[in-house]
Amino acid sequence: MSQEQQLDCALDLMRRLPPQQIEKNLSDLIDLVPELCEDLLSSVDQPLKIARDKETGKDYLLCDYNRDGDSYRSPWSNKYDPQLPDGAVPSDRLRKLEIRANDVFDTYRELYFESGVCSVYLWDLDHGFAGVVLIKKAGDTDKIKGCWDSIHVIEVQEKAQGRSAHYKLTSTVMLWLQTIKAGSGTMNLGGSLTRQTEADHNVSDANPHIANFGKMIEEMENKIRSTLNEIYFGKTKDIVNDLRSVGDLNMKAKQQMLATELNRKLQDRD
Amino acid sequence: MTDYERISDSDKVRIVSGFIKNAPPGEFNEVFNDVRVLLNDDRLLKEGASSAFSEYNMEQFTPVKVERDHVLITQQGKLDGSRFVDPRNKRSFKYDHLRKEASEIQPASVDVTAEPHRVSLDTAVQGYAKEHYPDGVVTVYGSSSGGKIKLVVCIEDHKFSPQNFWNGRWRSEWEATFSPGGGNGEIKGVVRAQVHYYEDGNVQLVSFKDFTDSFSTADPAKGIVKAIEKAENDYQSALSDNYKTMSQTTFKALRRQLPITRTKFDWNKHAGYKLGSELKGTVQ
Repeated sequence: MSQEQQLDCALDLMRRLPPQQIEKNLSDLIDLVPELCEDLLSSVDQPLKIARDKETGKDYLLCDYNRDGDSYRSPWSNKYDPQLPDGAVPSDRLRKLEIRANDVFDTYRELYFESGVCSVYLWDLDHGFAGVVLIKKAGDTDKIKGCWDSIHVIEVQEKAQGRSAHYKLTSTVMLWLQTIKAGSGTMNLGGSLTRQTEADHNVSDANPHIANFGKMIEEMENKIRSTLNEIYFGKTKDIVNDLRSVGDLNMKAKQQMLATELNRKLQDRD
Repeated sequence: MTDYERISDSDKVRIVSGFIKNAPPGEFNEVFNDVRVLLNDDRLLKEGASSAFSEYNMEQFTPVKVERDHVLITQQGKLDGSRFVDPRNKRSFKYDHLRKEASEIQPASVDVTAEPHRVSLDTAVQGYAKEHYPDGVVTVYGSSSGGKIKLVVCIEDHKFSPQNFWNGRWRSEWEATFSPGGGNGEIKGVVRAQVHYYEDGNVQLVSFKDFTDSFSTADPAKGIVKAIEKAENDYQSALSDNYKTMSQTTFKALRRQLPITRTKFDWNKHAGYKLGSELKGTVQ
């Protein structure tokens, strides 16, 4: 049994087990196959956790990309918590871009989400860089708890002496909705959808990297939002109503037969 | 080279059993295969986790064809030695939890006191199921104790569409107790709906509700079905209402379709090279 086969099975399992228990499932999986630990942590998306930067008092999001060992790096102070003097940090040039990206995406977050937390982490690659844009927004209305987690991983390969670049985007949006009410008992609708896209763009002062991949992220997030709406509130609801009908199926069948009969008679007359 | 802390065999079995029992409806085989590869120890899997296979089938109310009829695999119907009872046809059978097949059919005894009530209710529930469940399977169990009759109704319906990356199952379990010929009976139940959608993602609906009610024993079968129908219809309507609220209120409040300006984000304005800010330092 190769490690690659085991990783494939682990990922397949994570696509089938109830996403409501992602953290427990992931933890159990790592206990079961410890050799897969790093691979699993980097390829299985988990609901984002929030931490507070003690220096600046600002919130930031935790994921595998700003983790080093058991510490997480704040995008505000660029320091690890718990402290890690040798923790991995982006190069100086990339850190400048990272600061800028956090600023721009925070404005994006404000306009689309109106509250919540946003964090951007970048890391150097040989011929470019990679990054992740994270957004977390929670909201409770009418006794329904909701939470949205965006995880956009971007890979930028610089070309033509920096005048153009190839961008690869993998976006996962997690949506969690739950309610406990007298009439409907416990209703838990949750999980995630993942999409990918790639494109080439020119890079210039007028078209900086942040604008290039920012536009891709915005378009992707809008698309996924629309698909989430269809799948969560359309598809899963339709499936429930296919399992059981509130109305009398015999009546529906009779009505259907009458309608078909009527149609036939009308067609015969023509 | 890190020396990984290995967990014990019993912990492995616990974890693997947990995974198996959480397989979504219609995906037992896929989860089983994944678990088999990850555990990489068929002997341990067979010895330690086989109880998980039977627990899964009983929890899911797995339907099985026994000659010309369908019966549900449930905790209620469990006998010794992997055998289950088929009350409607007064027989029992052996069930293979991996192959999902029945064999070794034998006649089974009935509780003579409860049986007439069980038969009435079984007929009534089958009629009810035809009205509400496109492919429902019904199994009704009867027992008596000290003059009291206990009838357990199990209903299951499922739709599996793996080629479209979705599966769903509905399960109802109702327990009615009453003393024949007087007063009201008590009924309690639980209804569960689970849906899994997994095209480029993993989305699941997990919902359930507990019920308690009473019913008239003037015509127990009729009274019980009436209580079940009302409870299940109300529950399904409440689910629909929740879907509406979730989509029209909760979801909208999480992320707007567009910013309040009704235009997309102006990336070039926000991320573009700010000539103004560059000169700010010099023009004083």
